Amino acid sequence: MKNLECDLLLYRNSLRITLSVWKALLLREALARLFSSRGAWFWLIAEPVAHMGILGFLYAGIRQHTIGGIDTLVWLVLGVQGFFLFRRTANQTGGAIDSNRALFAYRQVLPIDTVLMRGVLELILMVAVVLVVLFGLSLMGHDVMPADPLMVLEAFFGLWLLGCAVGLIVSAGTEIAPEVRQITNLVMMPLYFVSGVMFPIASIPEPYRDWFLINPIAHGLECVRQGFSSYYYAAPGAGISYLYSIAISGIFIGLLLHRRFANLMVTK
Amino acid sequence: MIAVQDLYKRYRTEHGPGRWVLEGVNFVIPLNVNVGLVGNNGAGKSTLLSIIGGVDQPTRGTVDRQCRVSWPMGFGGGLQGSLTGRQNAKFVCRIHGKEREIPEKLEFVQAFAEIGEAFEEPVKTYSSGMRARLQFALSLAFDFDVYISDEITSVGDVAFRKKASQAFIDLVGRSSLIMVSHSEGTLREFCEAGIWLHEGQAHWFDKIDDALHAYNDWVS
Repeated sequence: MKNLECDLLLYRNSLRITLSVWKALLLREALARLFSSRGAWFWLIAEPVAHMGILGFLYAGIRQHTIGGIDTLVWLVLGVQGFFLFRRTANQTGGAIDSNRALFAYRQVLPIDTVLMRGVLELILMVAVVLVVLFGLSLMGHDVMPADPLMVLEAFFGLWLLGCAVGLIVSAGTEIAPEVRQITNLVMMPLYFVSGVMFPIASIPEPYRDWFLINPIAHGLECVRQGFSSYYYAAPGAGISYLYSIAISGIFIGLLLHRRFANLMVTK
Repeated sequence: MIAVQDLYKRYRTEHGPGRWVLEGVNFVIPLNVNVGLVGNNGAGKSTLLSIIGGVDQPTRGTVDRQCRVSWPMGFGGGLQGSLTGRQNAKFVCRIHGKEREIPEKLEFVQAFAEIGEAFEEPVKTYSSGMRARLQFALSLAFDFDVYISDEITSVGDVAFRKKASQAFIDLVGRSSLIMVSHSEGTLREFCEAGIWLHEGQAHWFDKIDDALHAYNDWVS
C-alpha cells in the first residue's frame, strides 16, 4: 500500500510533464541567449538600438520631422521594432529544433516544446527592448505615450503570433526538407523592404498599394503606428483582423505539421 | 517488464531509406533481470537501446515499457554543449519534476561525477570520459527501474570503472540493467540473461554465457 501511494505521488500527468519541460526549456534558452557569448545580453539590445540610431539619423536628422502626421523617430522605432519582433521570433523558433537536438534524448522533451518556448522567450526579450528604446526616446523629449495602448499591444502581439506561425511551419518544414530554411532566409531580406518599415505604405499609389497590403506584416506595422497616434493616417485598408487571421491560420498549419510529423522529427 | 514486439528499424539517409538494421525483433525482458546485448559492430545494439530508451522511434513495431526506463547512458546525447555541467544537471532535474530537490541532486551528481571545476564549464569542453562521468551520475540521481548502459564504462579511467561497477552492484534488487559491452568480463559480472543480435534478429538466452558462446561460435 505504501508503495502504491508512493507511485501515485511520483506519477505525473501529461500536463504537469509538459509544464515542467516548458519551464526547464525556457530557462535553458534564456541562459543560452543572454550569456552564451561575451556580452550577449548587451548585443540583444544594442543591435536594434544601433539599427534605429542609423536610420533615425538619416530620416529624422536629415530628411523630415514628421511622417504621416507623427514624429519620425517614433514612427521609425515602431516599424523597426515591430518588424524585428516578427523576424527574430520567426528565426529563433525556426531554428529551435536544430539547436536542441541533444535534449531529445529525454522522452519528455518534444520538438514543439522547444519551438514554443523560444517564441515565448523572444516575446519577453523584445518587450524589454521596446521598453528600453521608448524610455530612451522619452528622455530625448519625444512623446512616447500611445493614444490607444490596447491597439498597440494587440498589433505587436499579432506580429509576434505571425512570427510564431512562420517559425512553427519552418521548423517542421526543415525537418522534412532542409532547403526550407534557406528559402526562408532568402525571403526575410526583401520582406524588410516591402513591409513598410522605412516608408509609409500610404505613400504608395494604387494599384501597387494593394499589392503591398497582401503582406500581413505591413498591416501590423500600420496598426501599431495608428495605435500610437490617432492623427496618423495609415494606409486605407490596413487592419488588424487580416494580420490575425493569417497568423492564426499559420499557427494552425504549423501545429498540424508538428502533429503529423512528430515521429519523423525525433527519428533519425 | 519491457516487451519488444516485431520491431523493425532502418535509418533515413541522404539517399532515401537505408538498409534494415533490425528486422522483426521480439523479446520480453522480465522484471529485475539484467540483460547483456552482444553482437558485432553495426549489428544494431545501440539502435535497439535507443529505441528501448525512447530516444529514437522504430520504423515499425512497438516497445511496451511497464516501468521507468532511463535514457541510454554512454552515447553523446542528452547533454547540451553550450550549457555547463551544472546547468545541464538542473535542466534534467526540472524536466523530471524534481525542481525542489535540485540542491541534493546537484550535490550527488557533483560528488559522483568527480569532474571538479569542470562542472562549471560548458559541456562542449569536456573529454568523452568526463561526459560519461556526468551522464552516469545524472542517471543515477534518479530512481529508474531499468538503467540502459551503452558502453558507459568503456571511455572512463580505472577509477571511474571501479565506481561504475560498484554502482551497478548497488543497483541489484532495486533496479535492473540493460547493457551493451564488448568486454565479456563486464557482461558476465553483471548480467544474467543475454541477447545476441545477429542479422537483424534478436536471439534470447536465459544465461549470458550461452549468448556469449553463440556469438563466439559465430565469430570463429
